[in-house]
Amino acid sequence: MHRLGGVGLAAFERHEQSKRSFAELSNELSQSQVDHLHSQLNQFRTALARFASSHRETIKNDPTFRHAFQQMCSSIGVDPLAGPRKGGWWAELLGIGDWQYELGVQIVDVCVSTRERNGGVIEMAELVRLVTKLRGVSAGTITEDDVVRSIKTLHPLGAGYQVVEVGGIKMVRSVVKELDEDQAIVLALAQESGGRIVEDTLVDRKGWTQERAHAALDNMLLRDGLCWLDEQDKQHDRVYWVTSAMQWEA
Amino acid sequence: MALSTHTTSSGYLLPSIHSAPPFFTQQPNSSTQAVVTEHWTRIILGYARHRRLFFLRIEDAEVAGGDWDEVFRNERINRRLLPDHLQTILASMAGKSQAVYEPPKQTRAVLLYWRRPEEWAEVLHTWVSSTGHMNTIMTFYEITDPPVESPLSGIPEVLLRKAIAILAKTGRAQMIGAADGDGVRFFASGGK
Repeated sequence: MHRLGGVGLAAFERHEQSKRSFAELSNELSQSQVDHLHSQLNQFRTALARFASSHRETIKNDPTFRHAFQQMCSSIGVDPLAGPRKGGWWAELLGIGDWQYELGVQIVDVCVSTRERNGGVIEMAELVRLVTKLRGVSAGTITEDDVVRSIKTLHPLGAGYQVVEVGGIKMVRSVVKELDEDQAIVLALAQESGGRIVEDTLVDRKGWTQERAHAALDNMLLRDGLCWLDEQDKQHDRVYWVTSAMQWEA
Repeated sequence: MALSTHTTSSGYLLPSIHSAPPFFTQQPNSSTQAVVTEHWTRIILGYARHRRLFFLRIEDAEVAGGDWDEVFRNERINRRLLPDHLQTILASMAGKSQAVYEPPKQTRAVLLYWRRPEEWAEVLHTWVSSTGHMNTIMTFYEITDPPVESPLSGIPEVLLRKAIAILAKTGRAQMIGAADGDGVRFFASGGK
């Protein structure tokens, strides 16, 4: 019987030799695979860079395009904002990070400056309108989607900015305060009447007891500062005005 | 229903908050009331400057027909500032030196500081200098009722005295007592 390796010390040597060769080959193979990946990544990077540089302005200025781009990013599992520091190379490449943070700062600006009159709850449409006004005409339009995204980037700051939906209307809350269920209903009803709300409305339309309606409105008035009191109404002694649901022109 | 700004018949632009019905009610929530007071203070001082009004009395919110109707009454929404509310606002203004009770020791009338006495002192000194009255003796009447209207026309004597007292501290004015009313002499700069 002739074995390939043969027997004896020489065979052992040969065995070792082939083992080494295999290891070398495997190294080579994985090396080439890594190289291949690297070149692919480079290609991708260049392509993205080219895409970014040629579409950068469009991304910044065109809300529909920006939305499509962000959808594309999330469908391939990348976040244009993610990265170790300063938004990572995605952000550097696209300038999207700065853009998003800048928008975030403007959102905070609007929320803080209107807080005294709306108690820290602002309607999304109003927020978008005020932010757009703050940015000026040349900065291009922004959408709700952009605002929601920017609010997410504010999350690490722990300032408690949150988007809540009340009666089908999106509101942005800039104070760390839970809106309880009753308050959400009050907000929703107030939206329909330009901010004006009375206890009877809640009793008639929601079947609440007078006490429950009174307690909910009183809490919003005294504890949370979400509404203002009006004692000079012709029909009711006490009318409450939810400031975030009022339409302010200037 | 959008709340919009409004220009009064005297040409004063009221902010949109002035069209909000609850703005005319004193708020039970103290931080909300602080916001309301701040807005009212701004409106009152702005309007006083616009119409050169120096005094504000609680009566101005009690009876119609005064100088302040355009501001204290909003007929479009049928609301008015109530006297008690005004009293709270005046107390806050007095506390922040935006007004002083005049006469002192009561709380129903104030002298408004839409310019602080220090600013009035500078206005007075500049006016005296530009009209060539330095070093001459002037009567109060000559200052409050000059033949050519000046930034000081109609300034109440109590405020004028405060301004002169400030200038006197730095040697830029000197009060002179006279039988038929007080006079004052101004100097270009201090150190005399």
